[in-house]
Amino acid sequence: MSHASHEGENKIMHQPEKATLEGRNKVLGFWLFLGGETVLFGTLFATFIALRGESNGVLAKDLFDMTLVAIATFILLTSSLTSVLATQALHRGNAKQMINWLIVTVILGFSFLGLEIYEFYHYVHLGHTFSSSPFGSSFYALVGFHGAHVALGVAWITILIVQGMRKGITTYTAPKFYVAGLYWHFIDVVWVFIFTVVYLMGEVGF
Amino acid sequence: MNNHVEEKPVTNIKRRDNHEGPKYHFITYAVSMVLTFLAFIAVLNETLNKNFVVFLILAMAVVQVVLQLAYWMHMKDRGHFYAITGLIVGTFVMFTCVIMAVYWVWW
Repeated sequence: MSHASHEGENKIMHQPEKATLEGRNKVLGFWLFLGGETVLFGTLFATFIALRGESNGVLAKDLFDMTLVAIATFILLTSSLTSVLATQALHRGNAKQMINWLIVTVILGFSFLGLEIYEFYHYVHLGHTFSSSPFGSSFYALVGFHGAHVALGVAWITILIVQGMRKGITTYTAPKFYVAGLYWHFIDVVWVFIFTVVYLMGEVGF
Repeated sequence: MNNHVEEKPVTNIKRRDNHEGPKYHFITYAVSMVLTFLAFIAVLNETLNKNFVVFLILAMAVVQVVLQLAYWMHMKDRGHFYAITGLIVGTFVMFTCVIMAVYWVWW
């Protein structure tokens, strides 16, 4: 008896997202979704790696602005840290701190999106468009799809912030915050491979 | 007696679920930053062998991602068997796609 009640109490206090069966199922379901996302990005990476050599004159090496990419990488990495700090505040049951860290995460997400939009705009002016070459098509499909994920994450977390302000941390809202944190980390994980495979390997000319 | 035996896993859960504080998260962040920085340096250094640089930056990306999965996404904690299985299966399909696409187009 004391075992069950102890564990229950412990879960509600330290891992509220796993306190209910629904919460545990949401977390598990989300991991399966992330497995599917891995496959989705895998196909886009495969397309890019296979087609990036077909560039009709516009070379990755001359195109990419590494300073911009470095800043974008720094922003997204930092936003992943602030999102884990939000999850830690969730585990401490501190709704106010959690919301503050989520707000920082959203601001960083917006900055990243701004940089990416500027970057695409810049490339299009240099003659690197979605339809200019197979390199262009696969580049915009892969990087643009990642950007769409960032945009979705920013919108999602913004809505969660509003809900968090109204309802606080409960066993019902906790899984949502936890799962949004996982999603945001996953976006950063995908970006690590994008900046390695697309930008750095493009710069090397491999 | 019975009670005593049952309480063991509870203390275990407590130890692993009670968060140690942000220390490991900051370490993960610092290591990720350093690896990212080294990757940029390696690429901008034109004297290094291309194959070596590509191998190095891919290896550093994998290390960084494994750290982030383990600490930031809590995969090192208990109860992540299905999460790990899901990602491994996804990664397997991903590699199959990459190898197939490259093979299809270039050989």
